[in-house]
Amino acid sequence: MMRITAPELEIAVLVLGMVILLVETFATKIDKRILAFAAIAGLAIVLLASFFVAPSPSPDQATGFWSFYTADRLSIFFKQFALVTTIFVLIMMADYAPVVRRSFPGAAPQSGLGEFLTLPIFTCLGLMYLVSAIDFVFIFVSLELVTISFYVLVSFTRRNPITLEAGTKYLVLSALSTAFLVYGIAWIFGVTGQTNLYRLTEALANPAINHNAALLGMGFVLVALGFKIAAVPFQIWVPDVYQGAPTPVTAYLSVGSKAAGFVVLLRVLQPFLVLPETQRLVVLIALLTLIYGNLAALPQANLKRLLAYSSIAHAGYLLIGVVCFDVRAVSFYLVAYLLMTLLSFAVLIIVAQQTGEEISDFDGLARRSPFLAFAMLIGMVSLAGVPFTAGFLGKFYIFYAAVLQRQVALVVVGVLTVGCGFYYYLKVVRAMYWQSTTNIAKIPVNGLSRLAISALILCTIWFGIYPQPILDALKR
Amino acid sequence: MVTLGDYLLVSGILFSIGFAGVMLRRNLIIILMSLELMLNAANLSLVAFSRFRVDSSGLPNYNAQVFVFFIITVAAAEVAVGLAILVALYRVRQTTDVKDIRQLRF
Repeated sequence: MMRITAPELEIAVLVLGMVILLVETFATKIDKRILAFAAIAGLAIVLLASFFVAPSPSPDQATGFWSFYTADRLSIFFKQFALVTTIFVLIMMADYAPVVRRSFPGAAPQSGLGEFLTLPIFTCLGLMYLVSAIDFVFIFVSLELVTISFYVLVSFTRRNPITLEAGTKYLVLSALSTAFLVYGIAWIFGVTGQTNLYRLTEALANPAINHNAALLGMGFVLVALGFKIAAVPFQIWVPDVYQGAPTPVTAYLSVGSKAAGFVVLLRVLQPFLVLPETQRLVVLIALLTLIYGNLAALPQANLKRLLAYSSIAHAGYLLIGVVCFDVRAVSFYLVAYLLMTLLSFAVLIIVAQQTGEEISDFDGLARRSPFLAFAMLIGMVSLAGVPFTAGFLGKFYIFYAAVLQRQVALVVVGVLTVGCGFYYYLKVVRAMYWQSTTNIAKIPVNGLSRLAISALILCTIWFGIYPQPILDALKR
Repeated sequence: MVTLGDYLLVSGILFSIGFAGVMLRRNLIIILMSLELMLNAANLSLVAFSRFRVDSSGLPNYNAQVFVFFIITVAAAEVAVGLAILVALYRVRQTTDVKDIRQLRF
C-alpha cells in the first residue's frame, strides 16, 4: 500500500483549491454551486486519506522541515477536525448562495459566488498547517493565512453596510492582535534565542534566563491567542463580527478559527508552564471569560449575537481544560462544540432566509418544520449541557480534570455559569415549541442540508452516549 | 556605542506610538498606518536581538532576520486586503471615520 505522509494532505488541499479557482475563472457557464460540491468531494477524499497517515512521535531534535512541522496525533486529529468543519461550512455556503447573489446587484448573476466557495479551502489549508506548527515563524505565517482569508470572507457581501462594518472591525482588531503576537515572539526570541517550541522548553528551563522578559513575551503572545479564541478581555470584536458576517462564515470563525487557536495555545503554553505565573494568568482569563460570556448572553434577542456570546462562554470552559492541561478533555470538548455549533448555525441559515435572525423569528418553528426545530433543540440542549448529548460529556471531562487538580474556583464558577447557560439556550427552545405564530408556511430543506443536519444530530447524541471513538483517536 | 537596550527602547516607543494611534485616532487609514508601525517595531526588535546574539561561531542568529522577511511579506498582504475593505467601506458609507461606523450595537 502506498504510504501517505502528513504534508501531502496539505498539498492535496492546496492543489484542490487552485484547480477549483481555475475552473471558476474559465468555466463561466456552469452553475457555481457545482464548485462547492466539487470542493466538498475533494475535501472528503483528503479526509479519508488522512486516516491512513501514520502519526509520527513528537520530534525533539528534528531538523529542516520537521523542526517547524509536526505530524503527531494531536495535529492529525485536528487536521481531520478542520476538514470536517470546512465540509460542513461549504454545505452551508451552498445554501447561502442566494443571499450572496442578492448582495451583488447589477453584476452578472453568479459573480462573486466562485470566490466565496473557494476561499474556505485556503482557510482550511491554513488551519491544517496551523495545528501542525511547532515553530513561531510557522505559527505566524499559517495564522496569517487563516486570518487574511477570513478578512475577505467576513466582509464578503460588501454591499451590506453591516457586513462591511463587521469586516472593518475584524480587520483592525485582528491586525492589532497580529502585532502583539509578533512583538511577543520578538521578546521570546530575544530571551531564549529560539523560535522552535521544543528548543524553547529547554531554553526556558535554564534558570539563567531573564524570566520577566520571557513573561512579557508570553503575555503578548497570549493577548494574540486570546483574541483568536475569543477570551475575555480580548473578546470585544466577537459579538459585532459574528452578527455582521455572512452566517456560514460566522460558523467557520466560531469553530475552525477557535479550535486551531486552542491547539496553538496548548502548544505555545507548554514550554511556559515552568513559569508559575503562567497558570495563574490563564486561570484569571478563564474565570473572566466564563462570567462575562454567560452573563452577557442573557439579555440577547438576536440568535447570531446569542451564539457569539455563547462562543465566548465555551471558550471559558475550554480554558479550564487548558489550565489543567488535559489535552484529551479539550479535544473532546472541541469536537462536541463543532457538532452542536454547526448544527445551530445550519438551522439558523435555513430559517433566517425565510424569516430572520431574531429569536422571535423562531416562534412556532416546531409547527412549520418539525425537523429543523428538532435539530435546533438538540443543538441548544447540547450547548447547554443536558445529559446524553456530546456537550454534557465535554463539560463533564473538563470539570473532572479540574476537580482532580483541585481548581476549586474554576469548578464553582463553571458549574454556576452552566446554570446560567440553561436559561438563554432554553429561551430558543421555548420560542420554537411554546410560542405560536401567524406564519405557518412550511420551510423547505434541500437534500444535502437535510443529510448534513441529520448527521450532526446523530453524532451529537452518539458521542454523548459513546465518546470512546474520539478519546481513542487521541490515545492510540 | 549603541547598545541592545537603545534599540529595544526605540522599538518599545514605536510600538507604543502605534498602539496609541490604533486606540485614539478615528481615521481608519491612520489606524492601518499605526498597525504597520507596530509590526515594524517588532521587526526592529527582532533584528536587534538577532544582531546582538552572536553564537560561538561569531555569526548572528539569523532565524529572527529571516522571520522579519516573513513579517514584511505578510504585512503587505494584510494591507492589500485591508485597503480593499476600506475602499469598499468608503463606497458604501462615504466615510473612513470610525465614529460613523457603529450600526452594530445591542
